[in-house]
Amino acid sequence: MAEQESGATAEQAAAKMKAEEEGMRVMVAIDESDGGLYALSWTLDHFMASSSTLARPRSLIVFHAQQPFQQFVVPAGQGVFVSASVTDSMRKAQEENSAHVLARAMKFCEERNVIAETLVMDGEPKEMICQAVQQMSVDLVVVGSRGLGKFKRAFLGSVSDYVAHHAKCPVVIVKPPKEDH
Amino acid sequence: MAAAAEKTPMMVVVGIDDSEHSYYAIQWVISNFLSVHGTFKLAIIHAQPSPAYAVGLSGTVGFFGAGTADALPYVESDLTKISSRVIDKAKELCSANSVKDVVYEVIEGDPRNILPEAVEKYHADVLVVGSHGYGAIKRAVLGSVSDHCAHHAHCSVMIVKNPKPKH
Repeated sequence: MAEQESGATAEQAAAKMKAEEEGMRVMVAIDESDGGLYALSWTLDHFMASSSTLARPRSLIVFHAQQPFQQFVVPAGQGVFVSASVTDSMRKAQEENSAHVLARAMKFCEERNVIAETLVMDGEPKEMICQAVQQMSVDLVVVGSRGLGKFKRAFLGSVSDYVAHHAKCPVVIVKPPKEDH
Repeated sequence: MAAAAEKTPMMVVVGIDDSEHSYYAIQWVISNFLSVHGTFKLAIIHAQPSPAYAVGLSGTVGFFGAGTADALPYVESDLTKISSRVIDKAKELCSANSVKDVVYEVIEGDPRNILPEAVEKYHADVLVVGSHGYGAIKRAVLGSVSDHCAHHAHCSVMIVKNPKPKH
């Protein structure tokens, strides 16, 4: 391979070439919100465009975190308890939800002729995203700016903020198109 | 199935300072991002700290220990020299990668304001910043300017993290 004298340090050039061989892993984290889906379409448009023209392959992972359902405790009568059947049905509903979210996402990818893997993890989304970045050696993680907590005054949701701080790879925070402001 | 060819050029603003993180960010963006998107325009903005701001950082940067008013003119010329060095380095990176459609600007003031303003001025689609800059406090996982931009820029923000271990 030709050595490029790019003004970057030798280390950087070597790292670049190594990365070129390995391909770039891009992960988009989505939830049920439109922001997540928009982040995905942004990634597809700007990062995954016609891989054939790229020197190095790119792979896309669509990530979804299922929040622990201990939160959905149903008060009933005197005490607060969660019966086994309630837990089961909550779990089932959550899985259906995740399946629906991912199905929507995969359809987006298909429409643009992009092959993507999906990954679902159980836990707090912000922590799970960062964990997945490390476990899957992700090179770039993309998140929407705001999720389900549509607190309009905040320009940056708590998950995006956490990921921006703690992810060990470059982060893109995709803000909704201007019309939404 | 929109063809990738006929897209309006994407406007990318990159905020840089005189740190390795910034040059790494420029290189990263060029290699990974711009090479995909056919047409783009690049604006590289260096926020030159105003002398008072720089002197305030003197604890970490070590410009002038005393930070008296007398020192300010010297700090100013020093800063201007640093700015031109920063821009020269940026130009080097761009030309080495055959990036043509690029403007460079040095604006004096607080980068926390300058970068979101630059986003407005250039109608940027993406703002790129490094994860840390000048006064890289060891404890911080994300620099204050990058954090501020992530919150306040009105466009998508790309935070490029340098994989080198923090030293």
